[in-house]
Amino acid sequence: MNKKIFLIPAILFFLLIGVFFYLLLIDRDPSELPSVLINKEAPQFKAESLFDEKIIISNTEFGEEIVLINFFATWCLPCREEHPFIKKLSNEPGIKLIGINYKDKKNIAKKWLNEMGNPYSKVGVDRNGRIAIDWGLYGIPETYVVDKKGIVQYKYIGPITKKTYKKFYSQIKKLKNEKN
Amino acid sequence: MKKIKLYHYLTGFFIISITTFALSVEPEEFMKDPKKELRAREISKNIRCVVCQNQSIDDSSAQLAKDLRLLIRQKIREASTDKQIYTFLTERYGDFILLNPPLKTSTIFLWLFPFGLFIIGFFIILKHHKKSKIN
Repeated sequence: MNKKIFLIPAILFFLLIGVFFYLLLIDRDPSELPSVLINKEAPQFKAESLFDEKIIISNTEFGEEIVLINFFATWCLPCREEHPFIKKLSNEPGIKLIGINYKDKKNIAKKWLNEMGNPYSKVGVDRNGRIAIDWGLYGIPETYVVDKKGIVQYKYIGPITKKTYKKFYSQIKKLKNEKN
Repeated sequence: MKKIKLYHYLTGFFIISITTFALSVEPEEFMKDPKKELRAREISKNIRCVVCQNQSIDDSSAQLAKDLRLLIRQKIREASTDKQIYTFLTERYGDFILLNPPLKTSTIFLWLFPFGLFIIGFFIILKHHKKSKIN
């Protein structure tokens, strides 16, 4: 047996190093973590509405336009930072924004939205975080894009920023232009 | 430090073993039925904390870990089976949430590759050993 056979683990090692460096150096988007909900029907939920006594039933919200479900809380600093971009999204046509107030206090949330501006067409209350678990939430803020057929198409983890807004919105635009 | 007696070692050992009992599970989470509580702990040890990723939710102090621990206990109270609980979690978080990845066609490579490498390495060493003996 040739001593050269010991080259094999060395080659494998360097190949592995190559793979690691490649993955480190390419521009990977940490907000694009895979979600097991993609291409599946949006999880159903019933949530108390923040501003009134009504109950929001998720089924009635999907099926007409693109819906963005944005999980946020007043105690979450990145949520505050992303808020202007959520407002920007609410001004784009053909998108319905639903906010889910995660583990927060109703009156504080109401005050926060009144002060900062309310971009949401509806805000549901997720007091104990169970709705979030149904959506596979890792932490807030997180935004889910649901298409006109009620299928989850995209999960965005973390705050939407100046840098990421364009790319995120272009994903939504693609969905808008797709099936009718 | 000449006279390190046996009881010094025993005390040290005792202290170290106590620290491994440091729980993230808080007293208010404990179920009244100890058997059910044990079941909850066992299931929790198999669930990855997706926030901390290398800990189980049993070990993690993250808020989401606590929520999942409470959810597991609630499901046990509602008479869910272990399988139902694992299915519930993987439906929402994917197989990634299980600390033991399931043996599926997609993960069979993951499971067998280390054994494969070990066997290859073993035979390489065996051959090399035989050769050097002949020499």
